[in-house]
Amino acid sequence: MLARRRPAGPGPTALLLVALLAAEARASWLIRRPLSPSGPELRQAARAALHFFNYRAASPSTVRVLKEVLNGTALIREEGENIKVAFSIESYRTENSQLGTCSALVGFKDHKSRPTVNISCTPLLDQKERKKEDYKLYKQIKQLETPPFETTIPGKLGDMDPSLQPLWELAMIGNSFLMWEKTTSTSSYYYVQQITNIKKWIRPDDFIILHYRLLLHEFRTQEIISCHLHLVWHPEKPSKTQYHCQDSGTQENGSGNSEGSGFL
Amino acid sequence: MPMAAGGPALLRLIMRGLPILSFLLTVAFSQKMFSGDQVLRIRAKDQKQLQLLRNLEDSEDLKVDFWHAPARPSLPVDMRVPFSNLNAVKNYLNSSGISYTIMIKDIQIYTWMDNLVAEHSDLVSKIMIGQTFEKRPIFVLKFSTGNKSRPAIWIDSGIHAREWITQATGVWTAMKIVTDCGEEPVLTNILNHMDIFLEVVTNPDGFAYTHSTNRLWRKNRAVNSNSTCKGVDPNRNWDAGFGGVGSSNNPCSETYHGPFPHSEPEVASIANFIQKHKHFKALMSIHSYSQMLLYPYGYRKEPTLDNEELHNLACKAVEALSQVHGTDYIYGRAISTIYVANGITIDWAYEHDIKYSFSFELRDTGIYGFLLPASQIIPTAEETWPAILTIMKHAYKNPY
Repeated sequence: MLARRRPAGPGPTALLLVALLAAEARASWLIRRPLSPSGPELRQAARAALHFFNYRAASPSTVRVLKEVLNGTALIREEGENIKVAFSIESYRTENSQLGTCSALVGFKDHKSRPTVNISCTPLLDQKERKKEDYKLYKQIKQLETPPFETTIPGKLGDMDPSLQPLWELAMIGNSFLMWEKTTSTSSYYYVQQITNIKKWIRPDDFIILHYRLLLHEFRTQEIISCHLHLVWHPEKPSKTQYHCQDSGTQENGSGNSEGSGFL
Repeated sequence: MPMAAGGPALLRLIMRGLPILSFLLTVAFSQKMFSGDQVLRIRAKDQKQLQLLRNLEDSEDLKVDFWHAPARPSLPVDMRVPFSNLNAVKNYLNSSGISYTIMIKDIQIYTWMDNLVAEHSDLVSKIMIGQTFEKRPIFVLKFSTGNKSRPAIWIDSGIHAREWITQATGVWTAMKIVTDCGEEPVLTNILNHMDIFLEVVTNPDGFAYTHSTNRLWRKNRAVNSNSTCKGVDPNRNWDAGFGGVGSSNNPCSETYHGPFPHSEPEVASIANFIQKHKHFKALMSIHSYSQMLLYPYGYRKEPTLDNEELHNLACKAVEALSQVHGTDYIYGRAISTIYVANGITIDWAYEHDIKYSFSFELRDTGIYGFLLPASQIIPTAEETWPAILTIMKHAYKNPY
């Protein structure tokens, strides 16, 4: 639905109208436009929202993957765009083949990173199940011997040893933070292709520390960016992520804290 | 074992007579995975020996992996035998009087091509259209049932080295054409009137580099003057909006367009071949990832004059694709569906009178990206085929 008003011709009435419009623009959305579900803007918003969700939920056993964009609208403001989007998701763990939906409000500031996200998703598992699965993964990682430095996950054939899968799932929490931060409105989006040089240790307070190098594929430029990521995680406590990327000459850093697995 | 996820599915496929898949995967797999395993080649003398080989096939314990299943006495039977069962299998062959030779392990894709041509010489031939920067031959497979120059369809895969699902799909598609010709009515009809040209490894230098050194290499391996960075993006080197914002003039960039249009042999060889032929009616360029079907333009905002027809055809193709495994694709003009891109294959093709020019972006949408697991190769190839067939059929039924 388009609400557009054109300023009238020159004259005192016009000046008054322009002044009123300016005031209104600051106070509310000026233009609202529907977006095609298959269009790039909604997909971009859905991606940013889901990365944010996966990072904040910090639950490796229930990482969600985008399935289909359902509908959405763009609300254009002075400083950027807010996109309302609804999309369906499925669990990363395809054996469970669970489905769900999310609805989000994503705020893109013009050409600035770190879109603001307000999102809610239907639960994949009930709280008790999820806690159980996360603790299972936590134990697996604790007991796992750190893989050799040159081990890559996945391997170059997309293969993943089942014993290494918990590491990959945990890394997805950190990766989601990185991908969310880097997703701007200008159709640049990112996917982590591979992680390697994995270091893992347990802190005295029982947090798992995961440190690794990752290869990030930037879709618009097709570049591969190398980053180091440091993730501090516990199934029931707030986790923390820091990263450092070598972005075409410049060095970008970022860090963030998530609320922990209570977030849904 | 790293191959676990894809193993059983692959073996079942081999039994169905499409052994080439495991071949390609062997080319891709590191030596470690098949260390000690050997590939034995047997030429069965008669039906009796064939039956003995089939018994071997049926024996689940020995886990023999037939690359070429026992079919006719004249055809070679190739089997990969796991190291642990080598002695048992060799004893069996010896005591049955079946002679075998041990093939060299690192079989190249060129050998596969030669075998395909040798075994189906009535349909398939191999044409060398040029040479890469590092002097590798550039081969195209021609599928033809006639001997005059017919209207033709072009398919290329692997123009970007790291998109391994595409070369694998190209191999599977070649096998599919060979299997279905004479058996499946739609394809047979098409091949009675048109030729199909398939370039499976469009960027051999880059492909070799992804195996030896950098799995995520995209471009060719051209040496750039004034830079230590190598490689030109072959899908930015075409003479269609060359050098615009949808490409880079920095040799170190993944989308470096090169010094001038068709400066790259991988591109020039195709352009020259197509222009000399004069009768190409459809072109499909296979990429990954994103799950999209794209048509021109990538370099300009304006739609082509054939926009509506291309849109509807893409819609049908994507629908046919989704029928196989439920995979969702989006489709549309390249510039608005994916991003602005200058000097791309399909734009050049369209501007050179190939109306039905499409670019595929195969699985997935980002979870594995370029590193798609082997278990998804066959499903991907299986679903892509009906989409390819839809486009070919439309080109055949709508001559221009």
